[in-house]
Amino acid sequence: MSGRDSLGEFEHIIVLALLRLQDRAYGVTVRQEIESRTGREVSIGAVYATLERLETKGYVKSHRGDPTPERGGRSKRFFRVTAMGVAAVNRTQRALQSMTEGLDLIPRYS
Amino acid sequence: MTSLASFVRPPRIAVWLVDLFAASREAESLLGDMLEEFSHLASKSGVAFARKWYWRQTRNTITHLAGNAFRVAPGLIAATVIGGLLLHRLVSGLPERAIFAVLHRYQVFDHHFSTYVFFATDGIAIGHVIASMLVGCVVALAAEDREMVATMTIGFVLCAITGAAVWAWVATGQTFFLGALPWYFADWFAIVVGGAMVRTHRSAATILSSHGGFH
Repeated sequence: MSGRDSLGEFEHIIVLALLRLQDRAYGVTVRQEIESRTGREVSIGAVYATLERLETKGYVKSHRGDPTPERGGRSKRFFRVTAMGVAAVNRTQRALQSMTEGLDLIPRYS
Repeated sequence: MTSLASFVRPPRIAVWLVDLFAASREAESLLGDMLEEFSHLASKSGVAFARKWYWRQTRNTITHLAGNAFRVAPGLIAATVIGGLLLHRLVSGLPERAIFAVLHRYQVFDHHFSTYVFFATDGIAIGHVIASMLVGCVVALAAEDREMVATMTIGFVLCAITGAAVWAWVATGQTFFLGALPWYFADWFAIVVGGAMVRTHRSAATILSSHGGFH
């Protein structure tokens, strides 16, 4: 991994959701956080597929919680952002800011 | 959580389908997350709404997991698909040769003609299906965690080849026996079934090893 990769749009949203949720970040809370803040319906598969890619890149780490009866004896998988992930978010944010700087977006395109 | 929600279970087929496509290390937490949200929705908005939500999630989840497999492990998918197609080509003639060897060995043509006709027609077709299922099992064993994506890709390739061949037959006006059509497409279906069998067995083994049989 080059460590210079920018995040894709959905990857960016997922990492921001993980940063917001901190130690409460698992599939359900991540999905609901994105839905409530962006207003778009997200499938749990999209969340896991993106988290798997981010974990492969080293931007996210995961660990298992304890199995619970209300989940049919299945455990939760908690996610957290690594230092590399934070750096990638900052790079992406800076790139977006740089690209939108000076543009009068609201009156012209909304 | 209400007492109603604790008795309601999501659609079994949908659970099985998600389990087929999820990587084994994420299947447990993914299905747990879906069950948690399903139970919550069932108690809040009713079972019918929750079931509809679960099916919609299943469809979208499978699409994303299958697409992600090509992005995360393209080499593995390509290798298993090419290997599977070569293996299928290698074994596709074996059932015919084996059945005719047995028929000639026991002189079935002379003594039991109707049996001979059955084995020389449907018997060979059934042999092809069994051989294809075994190819699907081998491919699934090699494509660990991507069993369904690998076998379904082979299935689509074979389906496309068979479809093109049938179209060419019809277009050139050659004699075409419509009753044999299901057999032509049975191979790809059998490969996918083989993949699903291996994946289901692996999932069951994973659950048993991680929970000691707890459900």
